[in-house]
Amino acid sequence: MTSTTLDQSAGLGDWLRRRRGLLASFALLVAFPFVISIIVDGQGLAAVVNNDLGNARFLQGLAIEVFILGIYAISYDLILGVTGILSFGHAMFFAVGAYGFGILLKTFELAWPVAVLVVVIAAIIQAFLFALVLPRVHGITYALVTLGFASVFWIVIQSSDLADYAGAEIGLQGVESPAWFLDTTNERFIFYLLCLGIFFGIYVLYQRIVDSPAGRVFVAIRENEDRALMLGYNTFWFKTLVLVIASITAALAGMIHTMHQPIVTPNVAGLFWTVTALLVILIGGMGTITGALIGAAVYRLLEYYLDRWFGGASGLLIGAAYVLLVLYVPFGIVGTWRARAVRIKQGRDRLLRLFTGGDDGRTPARE
Amino acid sequence: MSTETSELTTQTPDSGSSKNRERAEWLQENRVRVTVLAVLIFVFVVALLGLDRDDWFSTIMQGLSVGALTFLVVSGLSLIFGLMDVFNLAHGEFFMLGAYLGWTAYTRADTLIDVAIPMLLLGAPFALMPLWRRIAAMVTLAGRARKTSAIGAIVVGALTAFFTITRFPLVIWDAENFAMTPTNMTVQIDLGTLAPLPAESFSGPAIVAILGVLLGGALIAFGFSVLRKPGMESGAIDMKRLATFGGLIVAALVLHLIKEPVNEWIFGLSTTWRFFLSMGVSVVLVAALGALVEVVLIRPLYDRPIYQLMITLGIGFILIELVREVWGRPEFTMARPAAFAGTGEGCPGQGLGGFFSGCSTVEVFGGRLRVYNEGFVVLVGIVVLVGVMLLLKRTRLGMVIRAGVEHPEMVEALGINVRRVFTMVFALGSGLAALGGVLAAPSIGLSSGMGAVFLLGSIVALAVGGLTSFPGAAVGALVVGLLQQIIIRYGQVGIPIPFVEEPFKPSPTVVPAASIVVMVIILLVLPTGLLGRSEK
Repeated sequence: MTSTTLDQSAGLGDWLRRRRGLLASFALLVAFPFVISIIVDGQGLAAVVNNDLGNARFLQGLAIEVFILGIYAISYDLILGVTGILSFGHAMFFAVGAYGFGILLKTFELAWPVAVLVVVIAAIIQAFLFALVLPRVHGITYALVTLGFASVFWIVIQSSDLADYAGAEIGLQGVESPAWFLDTTNERFIFYLLCLGIFFGIYVLYQRIVDSPAGRVFVAIRENEDRALMLGYNTFWFKTLVLVIASITAALAGMIHTMHQPIVTPNVAGLFWTVTALLVILIGGMGTITGALIGAAVYRLLEYYLDRWFGGASGLLIGAAYVLLVLYVPFGIVGTWRARAVRIKQGRDRLLRLFTGGDDGRTPARE
Repeated sequence: MSTETSELTTQTPDSGSSKNRERAEWLQENRVRVTVLAVLIFVFVVALLGLDRDDWFSTIMQGLSVGALTFLVVSGLSLIFGLMDVFNLAHGEFFMLGAYLGWTAYTRADTLIDVAIPMLLLGAPFALMPLWRRIAAMVTLAGRARKTSAIGAIVVGALTAFFTITRFPLVIWDAENFAMTPTNMTVQIDLGTLAPLPAESFSGPAIVAILGVLLGGALIAFGFSVLRKPGMESGAIDMKRLATFGGLIVAALVLHLIKEPVNEWIFGLSTTWRFFLSMGVSVVLVAALGALVEVVLIRPLYDRPIYQLMITLGIGFILIELVREVWGRPEFTMARPAAFAGTGEGCPGQGLGGFFSGCSTVEVFGGRLRVYNEGFVVLVGIVVLVGVMLLLKRTRLGMVIRAGVEHPEMVEALGINVRRVFTMVFALGSGLAALGGVLAAPSIGLSSGMGAVFLLGSIVALAVGGLTSFPGAAVGALVVGLLQQIIIRYGQVGIPIPFVEEPFKPSPTVVPAASIVVMVIILLVLPTGLLGRSEK
C-alpha cells in the first residue's frame, strides 16, 4: 500500500483510488453496528442511534477498545519498529494521557479543550525528558532508563500519597464526560464514530509521516544510525521528533481510554501495558504501521474470546501463543503477508482461473 | 561500600614516581567514577547520622538482607547478560518459581514425588534421541509435508502425554477448600501437625497410563528430531544412552512403589532439614528448567537479540500464569524452619552470640533483629558471593566464562564449546535465582508478583554496578538494599524539609521509586555503571 506513494502526480481522485481498501474498511466499520443490530439482535437501524442495549452496543464497546489499543500500538511501532529506539517506558506515554486528562477534568474541573491542551503540552515535555537521555545511553541501557522512568511513574501514581488525585491502587474513577459526543454510556454510537474517525485519521497521518522525507530518515536511523549521521542528518532531533509524535499519539489514546472506561487502573502505567504494545506490533508485524492496527484487533479479540472460552487458563494460552509467534512468525501478519505477497497473488490467480475456466485475461503476479 | 573504596584507592602504593604517574593517570581516567562513589558514601553516612544511633546496626543489617536476596537474583542476570548478551527478563519469575517449588518441597513433598513420577517417564524417551534421529532420517518426505508430519507428531504426542498424565495419582492442595489451602498447610507445618495425605491410585489401568506417557514422550522426541535440519551429526546409540533410558523408567517405577515410606520419612524430618532439602530440590529443578529454556527457546534466537528479549518476557508471563493456576492467586507464606523459630526461655538472644542461640530474634547494639532474615539470609548471600567468585577466578569453567564475556568469538575459535558453557551459565543463574526465592519465602512470603518486584530491584542493581561486571552486581545489590532500608526507616521518622512544617513521610510503596531515581542519575553520569567497563 505504501510502495507506490513516490509518484507525486496524485490528485484527489488518484488518492482515493489508491486508498480504496482503506475507504472500504472505513465504510464497513461505519455500517458494522447497523449490520449487527439487524442480523444478531433482530432490531432496526434506529436501535443503534437510540443506543439500545444489545450485541451491537456491546460490540461497539469492544471495537472502541480495539481502536484505543491500535492508536497506542501504532505510536509504539513508530518508536520501535520504524525508528528502532528500544524504549520500555511506553506505558507512561499512555498513562500520562489517561491519568492527566482524568485528573484535570475531575479534580481541577477544566473545560475539555483546555484539558486536552494541557495533556498535549505534558506529553511534549515528557517526550523531551525521554529524548534528553538519548545522547547519553544507547541500546539496552536506554531500555533500562526508560523502564526506570515508567516504573517511577507507575509507583508514584498508585502510591497512597496521591490517593486524592489518582485513587491509589484502585485507580481513577468517577470522571464525568465533559461533552455530549464524549459520552460512551449515553451516546455510544457517536463516540464509536468519533473513535473510528480518530483511528483512521491517525493511521493515514502515520503512513504519510513514514513516507515523508523525515520518515525516510527515521528508517535510516533504524538501519544504521552512524551512516545517517555521516550523511549530515542530526539524528538526535529526528529521534526527538519521533518521541514527540509518539507521545502525543499515545496520550490521545490514553484520553480516549479515560472517556471509555469507568476506571483507569494503575495497570496502564505498568510494564505489562508496554509489553501489550510490543505483543500487538509483533502480531501485526514490526515497523509496518498497518500491522499495529491489525495486531490490535487480533490481540483484543483473541484475549476476549480466549477469556470467555477458557477462563483462567487464557493467560497461559496467550503467553504460549506469544512465544510461538516470536519463534515462528517473527515478522507478524503484515510482514509475512508482504514477504509472500507474490506467491499469494499467484495462488489467487490460479484459483480464479480454476473457477472461470482458462485465462481471464489478467497477467498473473505483476509485482 | 567502604571496603570497595579502600580497595580502589590502595591499588597503587605510594612508591616511585612512575607509580605516582600511574596513579594520577588512573585517577584521571576514573575521576567521574571515584566522585560518584564518594558522593554515594557521603549520602549514606549523612543518612545514617540523621537516624537514631540505636537504629544504625539494624538498618544496615536489614539493608544487607534485602541486598543479599537482590544479589542472588542479579548475579545470574549479570552472568547471563555478560556472557551471552541475553537480558533475561524472566529472571524474576525464576526467583518466584524457586520460592513456590521450595514451598512445595518443604510443605507438600508428597505432591512433588507424585509429579516427579510421570515427568521421569516423559523424559525417558528423550534419552534415545539418536534412535529417533536415525528413524527420522528414513522419512523421505518433501519439505512441507515433512514439517507438517513432524508438528503433527508433536501435537499428538503432547495430547497423549497430557491425557495420560492426568490419570496418574496426585495428592495436591486445593485453593477452593479452606482445609486444603496452601495457607492452612503452612499453619499446620508450623504447629507440626502436617501429615502426608492418603495416597491416591491410578484412574484406570496403571499400565495404560505408563505406556501412554512413554508413547507421548517418544512421539514428541521423534517430532523434534524430524524438525531438525538434516546433515547434523546425530550421535551413536551407545550403552550409556540405553542405560539412561532404562534408568529413568526404573527410577520412576521404584519411586512409585516406595513413595509411601519415603513420604513418611520426609514428614518425620525436622523442619530445618526439610528446609535445606527443599533448597536443594528447588535449585536443581529451576536450574534444569533454565537449561531447558536456553536450549529450546533462546538458542534459536541468538542472531535476533530483540526477539530474545521478547521471548524472555513471554516465558516470564507464562510462568506467572502457571503459578496462578497451580498454587492459586492468594498470597501465602512458608513456615520458618525450626532452627530459626525458637521463642520462650532465654529469648531474644543477646549480643552477636545470640545469632546462634536458636531464638527467632536477637538484640544487638540496641536494635532487635530476626535471626533468619538478617543472619541466615545474609550469610548465604556472602557464601554465594565467595563461591561464585572462586568459580570465576579459580576454575577452568570460570576462565572460559570470563574469556567469553571478553571475546566470545575468540573463545569459540579456540575450540571451546561455547554453547555448552552458555547452557551451564544459564542453568547456574536460574539456580541462584531459585535459591534466592526459597530464602525469601519464609521472610517475605509467596505471591505471583514477587518476581516483578525483585526483577525491578535487580535491574537497578545491575545498572548501578555495571551491566557486565560481576563484582559490580554485588555492589549494586548492596546499594539497592541499603538505600531501600534507609528510606523505609526515614518513612517512619520523616524527612525534615526546610521551610515546611510537616516532615515529609514517604509511604513504603514509593520506596522502589527512590532506587530507580538513583539508577537513572548514575546511568546518566556513568552510562557503564560503577564498575563496568566502557564499550570500545
